[in-house]
Amino acid sequence: MNKFFSNRRLVIVIVCLIVSFGLMSVSVAIRNKRSTPPLIQQFGNDVVGLVNRVVAWPVNGVKGSVTAVSDLLNTYQENQRLKSQIQELAQTKVHDQALTQQNTKLKKELKLSHTLTDYTAVNATVIARTPSSWQDQVIIDKGSAAGIKKNMPVLSGSGLVGRVSEVNRTNSKIELLSNSSESANRFAVQITNKSGSTVNGIVTGFDSNKNRIEMGNITSKTKIEKGDKVMTSGLGGIMPAGLLVGTVTATGTDNYGLASKVTIKPAADISNLSYVTVAVRQSQTTN
Amino acid sequence: MLRVTKLRYGFPIGLLLFFYLDGILGAAFPKQLFNYPYTMSSYLVVLWLVYSIYFEDQITIPLGIWAAVAGGLFDLYYTGIFGIFVFVFPIVVALTRACYKAFPINFLSGLLVYFIDITVVCALSYFGNLVVHLTSASFADMLVYSLAPTLAYNLAAYVILYFPVQWLFNRLKN
Repeated sequence: MNKFFSNRRLVIVIVCLIVSFGLMSVSVAIRNKRSTPPLIQQFGNDVVGLVNRVVAWPVNGVKGSVTAVSDLLNTYQENQRLKSQIQELAQTKVHDQALTQQNTKLKKELKLSHTLTDYTAVNATVIARTPSSWQDQVIIDKGSAAGIKKNMPVLSGSGLVGRVSEVNRTNSKIELLSNSSESANRFAVQITNKSGSTVNGIVTGFDSNKNRIEMGNITSKTKIEKGDKVMTSGLGGIMPAGLLVGTVTATGTDNYGLASKVTIKPAADISNLSYVTVAVRQSQTTN
Repeated sequence: MLRVTKLRYGFPIGLLLFFYLDGILGAAFPKQLFNYPYTMSSYLVVLWLVYSIYFEDQITIPLGIWAAVAGGLFDLYYTGIFGIFVFVFPIVVALTRACYKAFPINFLSGLLVYFIDITVVCALSYFGNLVVHLTSASFADMLVYSLAPTLAYNLAAYVILYFPVQWLFNRLKN
C-alpha cells in the first residue's frame, strides 16, 4: 500500500479527482444555464449520433421480428378491445373536428392568432437510451435543425413522457418523467374535476416502485377524485396547454399532513418508447 | 506491436460497436432492461476493454488512452455530464491490468475480476451522480435496484461473449 501511494501517484490521483469534480460541475452548470451545449460537444454528438443510426439498423431489424411474433399472438384480444373503442372514437373525431372549426372561427373574430393550446408536432425516433440508472434519458434523431429547443415537452402515444434536456443539430436528449434528478420532472399541470373546477399545481416527483407521478404542494380545497384527468396547464415557459399527463389514482395528504398530494397514473408507457413527438408551442412568451 | 496485426482495425471497430450497442439495446429492449424500479445498465464497452486485456497477450494496446476516449464519448453522448466515465474507464483498465499481473486469468477468475470491475463502475458513477445532484437515491437503493440487476446482465454478457471474442482476437492476432 505504501508503495502504491508513493508521492507522485498520490498527487496524480488527487489532481485527477479535482479535475473530475471540476469538469462535472462545469458541465452541469452549462446544462442548467445554456440552451445548447458548447459547439465542440454539439459537433461530436452529431457525428456519434450519425454512426449510431447505422449500427441501430440491424438491431432494430432483430427487434422488429421479435415483436412481430409477440404481436401476432396478441392479435385476437387486441382486436376485440379495439373494436369496442373504435365506435366511440369515430364520434369523438367528428365532434372534435366541429369544435376545432368553431374554435378557429371564434379565434378569428377575437383576432387571436395562437393560444396556449396550439402546437405543431415534430415526430422523432428514439435511437439510444442512456445506459445509466441515474439518468432516465433517451436520445432522439431530431435536433435544432428540426426546430427543437431545450425544455420542450415530449409526448408518446397518448401522453406526456418528458422534456428536451439537450439539443444538438441533428439529435437531442430527452429527460423522462421518471428521472429522479431535482430539475427533471417539474411540469406545470392542472386537474379538472367532474364539476368543472380546476386545480393548478406542479409535478413534484416520480415513484419508480409503483410507476406513479406525484403532484404535491396543493393547498386548494377543491375536491379531486380518482379518475380525474391531469393535463399541462401551459403556464410558464414553452409548454403548450392541454397535453394529457395521466389520470388521478389516489389523493391524500403529504408526509407533514399540511398540503394534499395527488398520485397520477401516467397516460403513456414511459418505460417503452420507440417513437416520440416533440410539441412545439406556437404562441410565444417573453421569458 | 499493435501496428502489424489486424487488431489495429479490429480493436477500435469492436470498441465502437460495443459502445453503440450499450445505448441501442437499451432503446430496443426497454421493457426488459428498464423494468421499474430495477434498471440494468449495459456496460458492454467495459466488457470489450476487459476482454482486450485478457486476450491481447504480447501485443500491448494503449488501452488507458482508448478507455479515456471511450469514456469521454460515453459522457458526452449518453449522459451529457462530462467527467465521470472519462476517469472511471481508465481506472477499470488499470485495475484489471493489476489483477492480470497478480494471478493467472482464465474464464472463471476473469469472471470474478469483471464482477469487481462492474461494481467499481456502478459505485463510482453513482457517487459522481450523487455529488452533482442528478440522483437522490440512497446507497441501499443503489445496491438493490441498480447494482444487482446490472451485475446480472453484464456477467451474463461476459459468459455469452467470452469464447466468441477469444476466437475473434485469435483470428485478428494472426
